[in-house]
Amino acid sequence: MTLVLQADGIIKRFGPIEVLHGVDFDLTAGQIHALIGENGAGKSTMMKILGGYLSPSEGQLMLDGVPVQFKSQKEAEAAGILMIHQEFNLALQLTVEENIFLGREKRSGLFLKHSAMRDEARDLLARLDCHVDPRTRVGDLSVSDRQMVEIARALGRNARVLIMDEPTAVLTNRETDMLLDQIEQLRNAGTAVLYTSHKLDEIRRIADLVTVLRDGGHIVSRPAEGFSENDMAVAMVGRELSDLFPAKAKPQEEVVLEVENFTVPGRMENASFRLHRGEVLGFAGLVGAGRTELMEGIVGLRPATGSVKVMGNPLQQGSVLAACKAGLVYLTEDRKDKGLLLGKNLTENLTLLALDRFGSLRIDKQAEDRALSQAIDDFDIRVKDREMNAGSLSGGNQQKLLLAKVMLAEPEIVIIDEPTRGIDIGTKQQIYEFISALAAQGKSVIVISSELPEIIGLSGRVIVMGRGHIAGELSGADITEDRILRLAMGVGEDTKETA
Amino acid sequence: MKRRSIIKGAALGLAMIASPVVAQDANYTIGVAIPAATHGFMGGLNYHARASIERLEATYPQLDFVLATSGDAGKMVNDIEDMVATRNIDALVVLPFESEPLTSPVQAVKEQGIWVTVVDRGLAVPGIEDLYVAGDNTGFGRTAGEYFAKTLKDGDNIVVLRGIPTTLDNERVDAFSAAIEGSGINVLDMQHGNWNRDDAFDVMQDFLSKFDDIDAVWAADDDMAVGVLEAISQAGRSEEMWVVGGAGMKEIIKRIMDGDPQLPVNVTYPPAQIATAIEMTALGLVSATPVSGRFIIGSQVITPENAEKFYFPDSPF
Amino acid sequence: MSKLAKSSPRKFNLHVLGPLLALVALILLGASLNSNFLGYGNVTNVLARSAFIGIIAVGMTFVITAGGIDLSVGSMAAFVAGVMILAMNALIPILGVGVPLIVAGMGVALLAGFLAGFMNGFLIAKIRIEAFIVTLGSMGIYRSLITWLSDGGTLSLNFEARSFYRPVYYDGIWGVSWPIIVFAAVAILGELAMRHTPFGRHCAALGANEQVAKYSAIKVDRLRMGTYVLLGVLVGLATIMYVPRLGSASGSTGVLWELEAIAAVIIGGTVLKGGFGRVWGTVIGVLILSLIDNILNLASIVSPYLNGAIQGVIVILAVVLQREGKSAK
Repeated sequence: MTLVLQADGIIKRFGPIEVLHGVDFDLTAGQIHALIGENGAGKSTMMKILGGYLSPSEGQLMLDGVPVQFKSQKEAEAAGILMIHQEFNLALQLTVEENIFLGREKRSGLFLKHSAMRDEARDLLARLDCHVDPRTRVGDLSVSDRQMVEIARALGRNARVLIMDEPTAVLTNRETDMLLDQIEQLRNAGTAVLYTSHKLDEIRRIADLVTVLRDGGHIVSRPAEGFSENDMAVAMVGRELSDLFPAKAKPQEEVVLEVENFTVPGRMENASFRLHRGEVLGFAGLVGAGRTELMEGIVGLRPATGSVKVMGNPLQQGSVLAACKAGLVYLTEDRKDKGLLLGKNLTENLTLLALDRFGSLRIDKQAEDRALSQAIDDFDIRVKDREMNAGSLSGGNQQKLLLAKVMLAEPEIVIIDEPTRGIDIGTKQQIYEFISALAAQGKSVIVISSELPEIIGLSGRVIVMGRGHIAGELSGADITEDRILRLAMGVGEDTKETA
Repeated sequence: MKRRSIIKGAALGLAMIASPVVAQDANYTIGVAIPAATHGFMGGLNYHARASIERLEATYPQLDFVLATSGDAGKMVNDIEDMVATRNIDALVVLPFESEPLTSPVQAVKEQGIWVTVVDRGLAVPGIEDLYVAGDNTGFGRTAGEYFAKTLKDGDNIVVLRGIPTTLDNERVDAFSAAIEGSGINVLDMQHGNWNRDDAFDVMQDFLSKFDDIDAVWAADDDMAVGVLEAISQAGRSEEMWVVGGAGMKEIIKRIMDGDPQLPVNVTYPPAQIATAIEMTALGLVSATPVSGRFIIGSQVITPENAEKFYFPDSPF
Repeated sequence: MSKLAKSSPRKFNLHVLGPLLALVALILLGASLNSNFLGYGNVTNVLARSAFIGIIAVGMTFVITAGGIDLSVGSMAAFVAGVMILAMNALIPILGVGVPLIVAGMGVALLAGFLAGFMNGFLIAKIRIEAFIVTLGSMGIYRSLITWLSDGGTLSLNFEARSFYRPVYYDGIWGVSWPIIVFAAVAILGELAMRHTPFGRHCAALGANEQVAKYSAIKVDRLRMGTYVLLGVLVGLATIMYVPRLGSASGSTGVLWELEAIAAVIIGGTVLKGGFGRVWGTVIGVLILSLIDNILNLASIVSPYLNGAIQGVIVILAVVLQREGKSAK
């Protein structure tokens, strides 16, 4: 097999800050090379350099043994190097087909060959076992379908080198399986693949070669064969990982949240449940089961009917502010679009929810500054510069900032939607510790997660939702992956049926 | 209806004397298309158009009028097409928003045998219209210029405020310049005040900062004259210079009547020309009076002595 | 932000200083072309005539920062001026000419501005019609209304009331005329509100990402409506300063003020699509626009036909100078 793209001693500086300290990385045709590391380890920067989005400050890129410098991503793409982003590069207003062929439309003369493009788009999607209509607007697709469209787009371009930035972060297990099969097929067809994921089992399953980065440094590159998940984690974090989940706290008797006959029209119906002080309550279910909608309805982000009582007092519906004042906050799963202002600095993000605590007429900027220092310490947010934009933080640090933002409102009840999506294992552990510490302090937490180990590891009680209804509740030793899945899919014996 | 316009005395006199002789059975519809009232002069023009229509409808029951005011040339073309298509007009009185774009639509109207009266701004192709009624832009500039040349001494300084850059403005300013040529008057500066009070105020403020000695201002329009006078009074230099506006706004005429030393005279450019045009057109339809041809309303100097004749307190302009 | 300057002394930042440099360059140019340029009279003239658009542009800064736009302010100013004049003329028999009449007129102007802004805000925030469409519509409505109220001509304030009211534009304290004082006060309060109050912070958050604002317990509808109401009230305030100048309002009052105000906001570094605004920049933008006119009048170095072109070039240049900072996004 031949070396396609080779990076030697890559150093990258942003201003005075060096984020990559001499990283070597090779991509070979017909090989899947995994790049792993914690958030902020420099994976994204490395991938962007390989994909032509950034140029290295020092070091050399070689394409087929010849030194190259990509002036832009277009040049890299012309050389057959394609990157699939975690944040999709799709035009939401255009259709699937238009997106797949964007910039390389098939045409005869002045006119577009719609049917040819549609057929090919359908073929490409079928290879991914994705059956959306090519005429659908991408904006109307679910996140996982968008991911498939993004991959189909790369497939359509016959990439020699495919750089995939956490492609499975938002996919269900079934979709993940399908995608991994596809990637293996691409490898067998001779494509060089760079693959990143925080899910180490995936790495184990498909990678041929694994490179670990830590704090911008090259830690190790070795064949995946015989590289255990634990060893990978240790290499990434730089220390032994003790048990991932802390001990579960025992909830108190007091009911802090009581939801009855709650319906979000068109999304979910008739949910009733209670949350106790000091409890971690898990909400499991398939994507689209209505968990997020239920929680958004409860805190007033969606029009809904039904009754919500916080500490026994009825909650004014439709007002996020009222919920926040009553001590109930919701941490969105979509931190980039709904959680943080990516173009604003850390302070403005941190204090946005609880701004009234910093003066009702004049904002006390010194107090804000102190709050930021406090948050950086409390939540171990790794910042390069206190004035940096939230968008420049790595995913894990964004999540910590979002947590800090919500906690600044001093809530009694915290609803966390997908607390660790797209986050590395070290940060995950920190967040798990944080959640159980909250419960231990007598706060109450609801965790929505699609990662079953997370739900099982954190929650003392689990409510499973399926198709817009509460399908059942599990507690103690009954909380197992199997029972959760059966409930989520409607008690069917046949687990192949999915939403 | 006591309101009487001197300028169109001749035509109006004819109309009144030759009043309904033969009560004809035929009914006539006259379409009137004029620009919308976006500034003082057009406001006056709109007022005079409506007033004359009201009066004519009262006098001649067999006449019907369709009045359209348009904000731009395209809208005016649409209005004219609608009048022809849906109202079956027998005559069209039009003040073209712009000459070029209106020429062929008006020509099309003419080709259907409809009487066409063009007011103020001529069409790009001569000879389309049956009747042409207009103010005299060259005369407007010249009359003002002659007053300046006569009144000022050799070496006196003046500043000029021009209107919106158009042919009409050029004609006026060229005629003014020609009239003061050889008189030894210095034109310190000319800037566009866009026939707008606020713009004229700003321009005049800047003139006053720039020049220490100004003997007179040709503001060329009474809206601009209002702004100019205010700027002068702010600078406390009212004693130093006088101002000549134009078009005969009622407030300005009133001040001339009262003998304001800052406003010695004014030059007419009557918005009432539209009334003249409508009345002559009506007359042509209801009677056998020959009314075709060109009818240029000369610009006159308004002085404290004759100002009363030009004062219409009811007009918005 | 102020701490930033102390803690990390940044290198020369064109993004921040662009408009300021353009202003300084214009002032130097003006001073070199005409010795009266920096004289008391001219400086007072320029500042006072900037005041109307300036006061409005400060309000516009908040609307644009919050992700909105208002095209109706020029027409609205004309309409409010017309209503104010009619109301004052009508009140003379009751109140006589004196301070109560002026105060009543000011109250009418502020109320009319408030209501006009409220209408815009209500349609945009509650009924959820595009701001561009709503304000384009109200632009036409107010322009027609003022033309109709004035019967196509000019509405003039009663002569005696006018003489009494006139000092509000022309006089002041310590040689600084009232419009300048009011403009300065509005600008300073606006700057404080933008930078140091939850209102300003919330506007920027709303303009940056409405979803995040909503998820951060910000009452998005009320906030958005608030920006339009604030702008309406400031239009009323600008009108209070405008009416005593010429004592009249007509269909040609305030034509294109909306575009001048928007241009001033953008020249000042506020982002047109929202999310970031700065009031001091807007003030500089307004001054730049006024100075261009002033210098062209004072200098007459180019054909007056080209005034618009020169303005256009300077406006674009002032914005180009700021690009450096933004492209690093």
